[in-house]
Amino acid sequence: MSAGESLCALSASVRKGERSAFETVEAALARIAAGDGAVNAFTAVTRERALVEAAAIDATRAAGRDPGPLAGVPFAVKNLYDVAGLPTIAGSHIDRSRAPAVRDAALVRRLSAAGAVLVGALNMDEYAYGFSTENTHYGPTRNPHDLARVAGGSSGGAAAAVAASLTPLTLGSDTNGSIRVPAALCGVFGLRPTYGRLSRAGMRLFSASLDAGGPFGRSAEDLAIAYDALQGPDHEDPVCAGRALEPTLPELSKGLEGLRIAVAGGYFQSQGAPEAIGAVERVASALGISRRVELPAAGLARAAAMIVTSVEGAELHLPDLIARAGEFDPKTRARFLAGALTPGAWVSHAQRFRRWYCRELTALFRTVDVIMTPAAP
Amino acid sequence: MAEAFDPAEYAPIAAAAIALPLPPEDLGGVIAAFAVLARVAAPLMAFALPEDIVAAAVFTPDDGSAS
Repeated sequence: MSAGESLCALSASVRKGERSAFETVEAALARIAAGDGAVNAFTAVTRERALVEAAAIDATRAAGRDPGPLAGVPFAVKNLYDVAGLPTIAGSHIDRSRAPAVRDAALVRRLSAAGAVLVGALNMDEYAYGFSTENTHYGPTRNPHDLARVAGGSSGGAAAAVAASLTPLTLGSDTNGSIRVPAALCGVFGLRPTYGRLSRAGMRLFSASLDAGGPFGRSAEDLAIAYDALQGPDHEDPVCAGRALEPTLPELSKGLEGLRIAVAGGYFQSQGAPEAIGAVERVASALGISRRVELPAAGLARAAAMIVTSVEGAELHLPDLIARAGEFDPKTRARFLAGALTPGAWVSHAQRFRRWYCRELTALFRTVDVIMTPAAP
Repeated sequence: MAEAFDPAEYAPIAAAAIALPLPPEDLGGVIAAFAVLARVAAPLMAFALPEDIVAAAVFTPDDGSAS
């Protein structure tokens, strides 16, 4: 696998027999062994499983059957995804004592069914409550572009593993930016899908009314082929949409024609560093985009999300906060404890605001298809 | 006029209501974290919402493709 090779090209070469899935996965395992010490993206490497599955992909092809659109693609997942045989630790010390998962999370199974091969689990902020992946229990994940800097979070391991070319595809999760922020800080592509579009069955949630799983990759095309493999209803996740598949890969060749694109003004022009805002302006200029739109009360939407997240996260972990708060990561403990103290009126108002905001944005998106903003300030 | 809200007074009382111990070594961090929530909540609570905006879940029938 070359550094810039697309997932489509990689899987096509495996499907044609130009190289084996086994050697592709072996090479990924070798890169992880050689490179992860500096980055600290991985918390577990599933070597034996990966080699067995890779050999099965090769056997499928040799038997004349199609091993799938992601044949032989090595991937890894944030360690809040269930991986059969491993405890789902979600960045915590407490959950290390949980029984190992008995089967993979839904999104892991979907990538495997498409021919991708799981090579490991990835570092994150404890219970996804953070933006830096400076995990006290498992050490900080470092930014591959500058090891003295953070990778972002909470899916820092997932972003850094792609940025360091340890594996070309990973899965993370995003509540209030946990895919978008590390993707931006590590210079890779990340997709936070619309809430409810991808199944969360088998994921350790943080804030159930906001959480979404999604992929990291090295290009929009890589995200599209992964997203297409991940789509689909799932009765095991009560919020997963029952909509028919909407393949995205064929849409990419259409380019920008017919798309209504605008740059977010107002809040998004006042909260970022000049470098971040300037980067958006350069992209807009290159694309010939001059339209501006304003997202109403965007700052209050952030506030509402913070309140909902803090309360749902704290309530989820309240028994452990009461009984064993000392075992939480000191970097997250105070935030969880504070969330447990939030007045009910704030929560109800935040949820009602969310409904209002949803209505406003639905109206806005009747007039525009794409709104450009910095992913991180 | 209401007295100024003090997270340092509020946090231990609210924690007691749900039987949540606040270890002394964490108290400062908890108060600081709660003060952040209080700061962002203030303008949100001041934002008047129409009465017909409700937080109840919305039932959306699926297309039958879910198994």
